[in-house]
Amino acid sequence: MSKLIITAAIRGAHAIVDRVEGKVNAAIQEYGADKEVNLPNTAYYLPVIYGITGYKVEKLGDMPGVIEKCRQLLPELPAENAWLPYLGPGLDAGMATAFAFELEESLLYLDPDKCPYLPSKEDPEDTDPDIWLGAADDIILRKRGVEFVDGSAPGFAAVVGAAKDVETAIKIAKELQEKSIYVFMASSNPNGVSFAEQLHEGGVQVGWNTRLVPFGKPTSAAIHALGFATRAALTFGGKTPGDFKEVLKYSKDRVFAFVLALDEVDDEKYAAAAGCINWGYPTIADTDIPEILPTGICTYEHVVSNIPQEEIVSKAIEVRGLKITIAKIDIPMSYGPAFEGERIKKDAMFVELGGPKSVGFEFAYSKPLDQVEDGKFTVVGPNIKDIEAGALLPIGIWIELAGRKLQEDFEPILERQCHHLLNGAEGVLHIGQRDIVWMRVSKKAVEAGFTLEHFGTILHAKLHNEFGAIVDKVQVTIFTDEEKVKEHLEVARKTWVERDNRLSDMNDETTETYYSCSLCQSFAPTHVCVVTPERPGLCGAYNWLDCRASHEINEHGPNQPIAKGDVVDERLGKWKGVDEFVAPASGNAFESFSAYSILVDPMTSCGCFEAIAACLFAANGVMVVDRDYAGETPCGMAFSTLAGSVGGGLQTPGFVGISKFYIGSKKFISAEGGIKRLCWMPKALKEQLKDMITARGEEEGVPNLYDMIATEENGTDEETVMAFLMEVGHPCLEMQQLMEMM
Amino acid sequence: MAFSALTEKYSGKMGTLTFGSGDQAITVGGQAAMPFCTFDGEIPNKPIVAMEVYDVVDPEWPAAVVDPFKDVINDPIAWAKKNIDEYGAKAICLQLASTDPNGENKSADYAAELVSKMIEAISVPLVVWGSGNVEKDAEVLSKICEVNEGKNLLIGPAVEENYKKIAAACLGYGHNVVSQSPIDVNMAKQMNILISNLGLPMDKIIMEPSTGALGYGVEYSYSVMERISLAALAQNDEKMQCPITNDLGKECWKAREVKLTEEEEPAFGPDLEKRGVLWEAITGFDMLLAGSNLLIMRNPKAVKLVEECIDELLA
Ligand code: SF4
Repeated sequence: MSKLIITAAIRGAHAIVDRVEGKVNAAIQEYGADKEVNLPNTAYYLPVIYGITGYKVEKLGDMPGVIEKCRQLLPELPAENAWLPYLGPGLDAGMATAFAFELEESLLYLDPDKCPYLPSKEDPEDTDPDIWLGAADDIILRKRGVEFVDGSAPGFAAVVGAAKDVETAIKIAKELQEKSIYVFMASSNPNGVSFAEQLHEGGVQVGWNTRLVPFGKPTSAAIHALGFATRAALTFGGKTPGDFKEVLKYSKDRVFAFVLALDEVDDEKYAAAAGCINWGYPTIADTDIPEILPTGICTYEHVVSNIPQEEIVSKAIEVRGLKITIAKIDIPMSYGPAFEGERIKKDAMFVELGGPKSVGFEFAYSKPLDQVEDGKFTVVGPNIKDIEAGALLPIGIWIELAGRKLQEDFEPILERQCHHLLNGAEGVLHIGQRDIVWMRVSKKAVEAGFTLEHFGTILHAKLHNEFGAIVDKVQVTIFTDEEKVKEHLEVARKTWVERDNRLSDMNDETTETYYSCSLCQSFAPTHVCVVTPERPGLCGAYNWLDCRASHEINEHGPNQPIAKGDVVDERLGKWKGVDEFVAPASGNAFESFSAYSILVDPMTSCGCFEAIAACLFAANGVMVVDRDYAGETPCGMAFSTLAGSVGGGLQTPGFVGISKFYIGSKKFISAEGGIKRLCWMPKALKEQLKDMITARGEEEGVPNLYDMIATEENGTDEETVMAFLMEVGHPCLEMQQLMEMM
Repeated sequence: MAFSALTEKYSGKMGTLTFGSGDQAITVGGQAAMPFCTFDGEIPNKPIVAMEVYDVVDPEWPAAVVDPFKDVINDPIAWAKKNIDEYGAKAICLQLASTDPNGENKSADYAAELVSKMIEAISVPLVVWGSGNVEKDAEVLSKICEVNEGKNLLIGPAVEENYKKIAAACLGYGHNVVSQSPIDVNMAKQMNILISNLGLPMDKIIMEPSTGALGYGVEYSYSVMERISLAALAQNDEKMQCPITNDLGKECWKAREVKLTEEEEPAFGPDLEKRGVLWEAITGFDMLLAGSNLLIMRNPKAVKLVEECIDELLA
């Protein structure tokens, strides 16, 4: 229980403040109250105290005032039987600890001859007596801080204590380095062994340039990590000293840091950990200390314990919600959009995977965080080295994903990425999706050293980089063993069926949030698509799930959530929230949209509609024509002419741009009677949509609707079409006059 | 009844950006009306022309942009001084063409040092423009920021793929950034949001919506800029209220029309220089009409024509 920790932290904080008070008094005795104090080369005084309280410590005489503040913050030790429902007192104790530590550290600089640190140095050199660097000056802060802002350093790890041996220390440091995370080191374990010294012993170069920064051996030196974070908030965030809420919030949101507590955690370290929680930095410990799991201050958990040192880095990244980006994809070939269109001819090909002569599939699904091992790639079955040039193998690309914000609904969207992600590699060709995957790898790629694991390397790097907002872990298994491929394909097929049903099970009525898409505003400035579960974007490329995922991935992007609000008109499909959104989003060109009507405030049409629906007033029906049909239509215009007059972000009653899929929706122009109005479409389109039309016809009580829809074979002018409709008895003839519905 | 002209009142106003330091600093933007419509609202700062200098010149350049600088063309600093002293340049734009990895591939350190020397040598604000290579620009421009801390330069272009590095360096070392987007209103806005999310205030960002020369997409740039201006003014869209710049010199002077001789294209007539100057001046003026606050131009005569127009219309 967290009470244990908080009690220990408070106990530790009391001890620290008492100790530091003694040191401050002694220093005043020795040097006098007017003796200047400062950390090397900084305009931020003692940065933690200055950033949080706005109080400037310039001389020793200013210190008792800080001790006074610490005393005010220090809570009583909780009584044995008291229940502590919240972190409050622990946080205050942590803050008092931070202030006291900072005073303690600054005292070390009073006498330059006795200072244990190498002030304003980036790296310790062999000639230096010791490795400890102490506080970073402002120049280092600026240079390194920029990396935190631009994302080239995703965060820092404050490592306290020591690893179980030198090898483990090196391993942990390497792992953090590989992820470009800064390692700030302070304090030692109870035997006086410190992590930084372990690295030094192991021959690892420490210093700012290797991102392994040894601050100091006492636990108090850990304060320089918070000093760094606080100054970042003041320098880069433009926060005002003393505005502690803003400073702490910046640290939490922008400076991704966490504490790795290795080996025993004593009261002082608890107090320090409590201090870090104020900044939003959780502590991950390898020992079995009590945990503080519920989230509140930190993004996720506060204290997580008992994590083996081998796993502690990946656990820490998960707990802090750190996003990893991979600067270079580690494959022996080039990678980039230039290679996406690359073809690989038979004689240049080393191996063919899947395709018409074999089985090929790819499948991505989500699992709990602890069941996915990030960056693990396995090949089950023959690999490149086991085959001859020109071979054919079955393939199953099995992608296991985990992420705090990953939802089942995003799986198909991520799975669909395989195509362009894998195609980006030089010498790799990828066609198809799901169970019609067909790939080729070139001889050149194999000569360069390609093996099948590299598919994993590519997917891992790109999914992290492009979908880091929702993906935290990626594990990839490549099956080339025929039995295994088939076995897993069965599992995938079941999931695909479920996925297909998922969106079709959703409806507009029970969904509160719709999404906008304004991607097409670049050429149709007033156009905006309102995408609902039952009405996809008119280009056919964005359904509701796509828009939602795209919004999660890029919250400032073109897909914004629309709280639909109260129903204004159920038949037309008008909602208060939608109208309120549409007005500003269309540059005030439109006040209202109907989702289900072609006659009253229909949605705007940009230019990329898959098809156009148009009213045929004499026939009292609606025709649909798609992009692929070049001939004449009964409304008197071919597709291209129609597109010219309907598109461009206009609302044109009687005409609307639509996606083909929308024709099968229950909400397809439902305000005017829905699919029963559909009386003409090009033959090819009609055949393509046969199942959809028949199914919907049956639902509407017109089982032979399919046969009643005219095509160009029955006529391309309204009169001939009318004659056909009368002959077959098309239901639209009996419906309410369209003219009356305007 | 007396005649009273109808005026258009806008709820929003363009933000300003100041670059350069001390009394040489220049402020652009801040207008509360569409270009030159002083009767509708205040236009506190005249649009500015920054004159280009290159650290390496493409041998394909037409004579009209070589002759005016013949004596200084291999020395960007002397060139800049000539632009200021002889041609009255109000600002200089240093184009770091030599850093292009597909060209001379000069280093970031070289570029940073050149910029430092340039700052020392000239008395007007400086714009620093990368080669356009996304990765190299990130490296070169951030180095320039670091080495020239606090000089309040205007640095770009930052694009979607490299804005983090460049904008973060501008933030860390006290400079302004050019946020470039590919002729797309949404992207222009998104770039402003992304950059300001890094912590750079909006008054340190200027937009470059991608400039097309006359005959090469000037109308696309025009309509995007007009829409940005309207969004900023009429809709008071805060994320669109950064001033606008256009990097047009290099677009104009590679156009076919400024290079073809009379023999090759008799209809174009003999006066190559006049043709080129007008090509650049008209492109520049179009950009002003669309809402530009800062033009980056090459030929002194074209600059003069455009500045005369500005002065006349805002007299
Ligand atoms: S047509 Fe497609 S891409 Fe364009 S705005 Fe609509 S949904 Fe977005």
